[in-house]
Amino acid sequence: MTRPLVAIRGVSQHFGTDGARVPALESIDLDIPDGQFAAVVGPSGCGKSTLLSLIAGLRLPSSGAVLCDGEPVTGPMPRKVGMIFQEANLLPWLSAIDNVAFPLKLRHVAKAERLDAARRMLDLTGLRGFEDRLPHQLSGGMKQRVAIARGLVQNPAVLLMDEPFASLDEQTRMVLGDELLRIWSETRKTVLFVTHSLNEAVYLADRVLVLSARPGRLVDDIRVDLPRPRSFAMTSEERFGTLKDRIWQHIKHAERR
Amino acid sequence: MTWAEGHVRWCQALLYLGILAAWELLPRTGLVPRLFVPPLSEALARLVSNHREYLGSLPTTFGEILAAYAIACGGGILLGQLLGASATARHLVLPVLRSVYAVPLVVLYPAMMVWFGLGSESKIAFAAIYAIIPTMLTAVAGVAALTPALTETARAFGASRAQQILYIALPASLPSIVAALRLGGALVIVGVIVAQMLGAADGLGYLITRHRTLLDSPGVYAGIVLVLAITGLHELALRRLERKVAAYRGVGD
Repeated sequence: MTRPLVAIRGVSQHFGTDGARVPALESIDLDIPDGQFAAVVGPSGCGKSTLLSLIAGLRLPSSGAVLCDGEPVTGPMPRKVGMIFQEANLLPWLSAIDNVAFPLKLRHVAKAERLDAARRMLDLTGLRGFEDRLPHQLSGGMKQRVAIARGLVQNPAVLLMDEPFASLDEQTRMVLGDELLRIWSETRKTVLFVTHSLNEAVYLADRVLVLSARPGRLVDDIRVDLPRPRSFAMTSEERFGTLKDRIWQHIKHAERR
Repeated sequence: MTWAEGHVRWCQALLYLGILAAWELLPRTGLVPRLFVPPLSEALARLVSNHREYLGSLPTTFGEILAAYAIACGGGILLGQLLGASATARHLVLPVLRSVYAVPLVVLYPAMMVWFGLGSESKIAFAAIYAIIPTMLTAVAGVAALTPALTETARAFGASRAQQILYIALPASLPSIVAALRLGGALVIVGVIVAQMLGAADGLGYLITRHRTLLDSPGVYAGIVLVLAITGLHELALRRLERKVAAYRGVGD
């Protein structure tokens, strides 16, 4: 096994002040090796998204440390970590290509160079020919493709995805899932993928991390031993069902409390 | 432009024509006394024959409008941005501003003539105060509507505080700035003309009042035509700007 690209060491996170302290995550220890596709699932409000924002450097843990590529995370590290949110969050006044190039613009990369990189990413995500469209001229699925291209444009080692397909319809979600696997197999990023969908988690990931209800603790770490490339037919196989059932037992238990 | 939009434009053009035709014909048929409303052509003829008098009133009028415009819109938008940036300030100040906005500020004008005299200063002050609050309220609404998600996204991609303002907050609030300019400008024009009517020695509003005291209706309406032209041009220019901004932000036509 390669060295961990993302290492989470005894991380706890709570919100609010001492008077009304709400714990969100408790003593999380986790290693994600380079190139792994890991899904994070858990009952609503278990701190899945908080975990991602800690790795993204958008907030700092109350205790413990997060390391990315051996370096402690003290703030956003956009060159190492690409982020994709539930909503595409594109700037409505920029064309698709300018949205993808935006992270490079923030770093003052020369215009020709950043448009070049953005164009390659739009090709990779299947949006050739849509470079000059504005976000409101794109469908929900296409917007999310632009967001993925933007997440990839700096060639980060880690891709953090916070329920990226949750606001899309079922068919679009399935198509984009396959697209994501294709992109992942071409780029071999380390992916952390937060989702509500057990199907999505088992179908996409090498490994499924299950968090408990608030405060989130790591309650299971499941290796998905389905062969790659994955196909839709696998979702009706017995092994797929067994894995899903194992996750569901944890979540059912937590949601009932 | 779709067929339906083209259709709507034609109907609107017809409406405008209808209003102008009524203005011309109702006084001529005697349905409206000429002393109340003279035919449009008479007002226009007076504007042409007395053009020196009317054009001569424009430098003062425009000067006052521009000065009040700068104060009301510059100050209103700046204060609106500052106020919009802080939720606490918004909760504290906005209700007070809305109540003040409900007061008919024109009652203050006689007092302002005492403070600032009969010259341009009192007109500028009145028009600026009259317009600044609604301008500020419009600008605040735009800042408050800014999506925090976009700022959060930019932050995840490494945007500094300055870059967040330059690339996110500013373009996002552009439409509300233009809307504030449009509203503020219209109110400033009204403010200056009304102030000139109530007490002045120069300006378009003063001309209108002087002709009225002489019961010279075509003279009054010649001035009104000019006021309409000024507000109309302002409205056209700002609508154009609004469309440009909308297109730049990719949400308009």
